[in-house]
Amino acid sequence: MAYSDKVVDHYNNPRNVGTLDKSSEEVGTGLVGAPECGDVMRLQIRVNPETQVIEEAKFKTFGCGSAIASSSLATEWVKGKTIAEAMEIKNTDIVKELALPPVKIHCSVLAEDAIRAAIGDWKKKNGVAETVAVAAN
Amino acid sequence: MNHCTSCQKALEGSWLVCADCGAVQSDSTIDFFQALGHERRFGIDTAALEREFHRLSRRLHPDRFARASAEEQQNSLAATALLNDAWRTLRDPVSRLEYLLKLEGHAVGEEHAGKGKSAERQPPSDLLEEVFELNVQLEELRMSQKMGEAADGAVVKDLAATGVRFESMLQAVDDALAAESAKWDTGAAEARTEAATRMIQLLDRRRYLQNLVRDVHETLGAAA
Repeated sequence: MAYSDKVVDHYNNPRNVGTLDKSSEEVGTGLVGAPECGDVMRLQIRVNPETQVIEEAKFKTFGCGSAIASSSLATEWVKGKTIAEAMEIKNTDIVKELALPPVKIHCSVLAEDAIRAAIGDWKKKNGVAETVAVAAN
Repeated sequence: MNHCTSCQKALEGSWLVCADCGAVQSDSTIDFFQALGHERRFGIDTAALEREFHRLSRRLHPDRFARASAEEQQNSLAATALLNDAWRTLRDPVSRLEYLLKLEGHAVGEEHAGKGKSAERQPPSDLLEEVFELNVQLEELRMSQKMGEAADGAVVKDLAATGVRFESMLQAVDDALAAESAKWDTGAAEARTEAATRMIQLLDRRRYLQNLVRDVHETLGAAA
């Protein structure tokens, strides 16, 4: 199976690899794993407490090319977004952008889970209640 | 209950061949337990199953049908292929577990990933932390190997100890799997569902641990 050019690009030049200070109040950490393949992904965000904008995002992923590309893309996408906007990112958007084949869809699910886990961690630290999803219609 | 396509008698033992008239069956929909004439369960006497596999192999062997009709030859080939797959799958405890769970309609393994939310299947966070830290250690060691540096003795020793710890965790998972599969074998429907759920979680954990143990050995092997 061939990887798409975008996956290869993210794999060869991953964006935002690294670590943020886990103990900082402004940092949310999401650590998730895919039980199916044994991949582990850590995604961290630093949120501006005033604006709730994600100013920095870092990731570290141990896994296949698709998992690395998915998390690399996820950090690119969350940067500059508010917490609420970042929650809108769907794994299907990642699948589309990276042209992931069906067997690699779970990598994108993992990236979405990581974003949500990081945001959840930040909310817990900062005493923000989990926003209840409101039906649009 | 299946019946011989030739003599219509009920098939006993393996569903691949009629014990009564000797006709090889052409039913490709039978499962691996039916192929080997074994009750659908986790606990298996592998030595007895192997004997049955050899007996059936001889019985179904295409050489025996060299002068039979084209249809019979085809049946013998197909039945032999199915029998081999069945034995290969059922002889190994882990592949047997995965196979039987799938047979029972449970979602197991990578091909089922991503269909639902993986959140409920997330491994425990303490394990994730350990897995992540171990991967960091492994990467550091691999990097220093790449740079041609001599491996740091303390790091190697640390890693070896971690490897041993993960191996014993793997053993604990296998013991738990054995206990749950025994519960499934003897339990009623409700107990079976519970045991199956536990086994799927254990198998997930096992896959993690097994990959890690393999990575530790590979990296340490390269460092030696």
